[in-house]
Amino acid sequence: MESAKNMKSPMVTPPASAPVRGGERKRVLTLSTELVLLIINLVIIIAMSLITDSFLSVYNIGNLFKQASIIGIIAISSTMVIISGGIDLSVGAVTGLTAMIAAVLMSSDRMGMAILPALLITVVLGTLIGVYHGFIIYDFHIPPFIATLGSLYILRGVIKLISEAQTIARLPEAFTTFSQGEVLGIPNMVIVWLVLAVIAQFILSNGTFGRNIYVIGSSREVARLSGIKMRQNTYAIYIAAAFLCSIAGILLTSRLASAVPGGGGGYEMAAIAAAVVGGASLSGAKGSIVGTVLGTFLMALIANAGVHLKISPFLMEIITGALLTIAVVIDQLRNRKR
Amino acid sequence: MIPNEPGSLRVAGIHKSFPGVQALDDVNLEVKSGEIHALVGENGAGKSTLIKILMGVYQKDAGEIYIDGVEAHIHSPVEAARHGLHAVYQDLVIAPELSVGENFFIGNLPMRAPGVVNWKGVYRQAGEKLKALGINVDPRRKILDLSPGEQSMVTIAKIVQGQARFMIFDEPTARLTTDETRQLFELIQRLKQNNLGIIYISHRMEEIFEICDSVTVLRDGRVVGSEQISQVTEGRLISMMVGRTIEEMYNIRRGQAGEVLLEVRGLTSAPHFKDVSFTLRQGEVLGLFGLVGAGRTNLLRAIFGANRVDRGQVVLQGKTCLIREPHQAILAGIGLVPEDRKTQGLAMPLSVSHNMNITSYKDISSAGVVHRRQERSRTEKMVQELSIRTPSVRQIVEHLSGGNQQKVAIAKWLCRDADILLMDEPTTGVDVGAKVEIYALIEGLIQRRKAVILCSSYLPEVIGLSDRILVMAEGNVTGEVTRQDANEELLLTLASRLSENGTAAKPE
Repeated sequence: MESAKNMKSPMVTPPASAPVRGGERKRVLTLSTELVLLIINLVIIIAMSLITDSFLSVYNIGNLFKQASIIGIIAISSTMVIISGGIDLSVGAVTGLTAMIAAVLMSSDRMGMAILPALLITVVLGTLIGVYHGFIIYDFHIPPFIATLGSLYILRGVIKLISEAQTIARLPEAFTTFSQGEVLGIPNMVIVWLVLAVIAQFILSNGTFGRNIYVIGSSREVARLSGIKMRQNTYAIYIAAAFLCSIAGILLTSRLASAVPGGGGGYEMAAIAAAVVGGASLSGAKGSIVGTVLGTFLMALIANAGVHLKISPFLMEIITGALLTIAVVIDQLRNRKR
Repeated sequence: MIPNEPGSLRVAGIHKSFPGVQALDDVNLEVKSGEIHALVGENGAGKSTLIKILMGVYQKDAGEIYIDGVEAHIHSPVEAARHGLHAVYQDLVIAPELSVGENFFIGNLPMRAPGVVNWKGVYRQAGEKLKALGINVDPRRKILDLSPGEQSMVTIAKIVQGQARFMIFDEPTARLTTDETRQLFELIQRLKQNNLGIIYISHRMEEIFEICDSVTVLRDGRVVGSEQISQVTEGRLISMMVGRTIEEMYNIRRGQAGEVLLEVRGLTSAPHFKDVSFTLRQGEVLGLFGLVGAGRTNLLRAIFGANRVDRGQVVLQGKTCLIREPHQAILAGIGLVPEDRKTQGLAMPLSVSHNMNITSYKDISSAGVVHRRQERSRTEKMVQELSIRTPSVRQIVEHLSGGNQQKVAIAKWLCRDADILLMDEPTTGVDVGAKVEIYALIEGLIQRRKAVILCSSYLPEVIGLSDRILVMAEGNVTGEVTRQDANEELLLTLASRLSENGTAAKPE
């Protein structure tokens, strides 16, 4: 066999065939999704600064980031779920519910609990929704779309029940001022968003959990046959998603200094849109948090630009929808080129 | 060239280079109407480049294409179709959610009135066309509900209904069962009788000898030779392709059989297999042979915890193990190289590195964080050892050739250092060169006192590589044959022992 081994050597350096090089080109393209988004963001910022006087101010830019941060945190959770090949339609409702729970627990009109235990309870309850999702999606084989759509309705009902469809206010001042605070000129909300984003990106690119998510997203069968514990990982994905939404809910209440029954409404779509604009693919195994952060910012930036350019909000909705469509079309075209 | 050759497709002096590579170098090839011409060569030999030039996907740098002696300029697949030149690829280009009939008429459905489809007409006409080609498929059925074999028949029928004169088949049997392959061959023969010229690309030698009339061998972008099939032997063809003889292919260094690693006792999973018992020792290759539906794949998957088991025991190194999920089998030192690498073995949209390390991130991480440097160095080492042809370890697996993909699917378990490797048809859709490399990997494993169960439908491969061969028929073990006693007749007899209808079907 030694001789046969030697004979192998001519095959070690064959002419690289064309498809292989095409593939290499693809990798470069994929890497640049984030770069393209960054450039688009910068171009809009520069253009807006030149066109309008009101856009480029510390106040406006700070506000822009603050507006983006809550959707931004939810979009991180959506991205992880989408990469795993799933979808979570309940993120807005989880955000709304946890926002309401925090308010009900702390409001002097209601339970008047101290801040820390209230927040702890809020996060635990919010995260339990993720456990429920893991249970119903993994153990009952319910497609994530249906499972979380059901949750969306259930949780919206729960919000109305516990709030009696009222706005809950009169919250501790230390809690409501958190969202107004800043460190070294950076708003607290933005710090929370970006810290969570950095952690999530690290887990996705360096964590074994993150690697597993991509494999699950590319094929559940391959993941299972590779020894990935499907139950454990499915639970973990939806628990992480619900946990992030709980944080977003708490920030929402802090920012509004109250909780409204419709809080977080429509956030699920905004979050999914941000993830998709950021390069995540609904068929799974593709996407990054960096892309999602840039996608979230781009969506907020365009909304803000619309206000400064005094474009009708109705028209802005159309523009936002068109932007999302274009992003997906470009993604498709790139896929086809591969 | 003189335009005086009716009924032929001829390419002359084709050159094609990509940056840094001469993909085709002075390639000549002639296919006559009513002839099936095999095009063989290892991956990277230039077969697909040549086909893509014929189909107008790539543009040639130099050379001519003649159809019936007249030079044809082909710049796109549409132009190729206009010249009656069509290709059938492994991946089907057909709408899976639509019916067979609809697929036939996509873009020009017969109408009863503007905007009103004449469904009766659709199904009747499609039905007639299918019947004319001897294809027995109801045109009302959805493509999705057809078997892979029926799908490819329908695809071919759809293409042929246009004015096809020359058809190119690129690995058409890769996804088919024996029966379907048989039907496909009948269809191809019928096309030949209808005076179509056919270029047939396959890695499977037995197919080439069965249906082709002539053959052209490519190596490194050059034509090594063009022969009538009757003039060559399988051994000669393979040595033309790889520059080495066939005897050396299966000639691996045997392992020293050591202690028993795996013992299976009375394993049953109705209705797939029942009462399967065998032992597997260190340094041993246990062949698993059987016809379609014999239960081999199910058995491997059951041992691996991927399929349900009704009763029976799996004993690993003396300890009875309850394996319910693959991760438990993996923990116990078992690995599975599944039958279909595209849907079971590999995460296609992910990188070589990601795929190789999936099974063993535990070894190169602490507290759930992967040591990227360790990951990279180990992957690169593996890529080099297995001579996996990839531009980098970050390459997406989907873009590798079949052989290189398969090596990645095996490398997954080498990284994990699995003691027992269950290999289900590890050389399907893999070129000859990669086959030899996979055999060398098996050799390396048994030399390192690991054990392999090799499930293969290709008799020379099972016989050549195995120390012992377990033969299955309809879910039962019908015999265990040692290396010395093994021959094709014996294995086939055992494999068809329980067949009620008595017709000894051919192996998969």
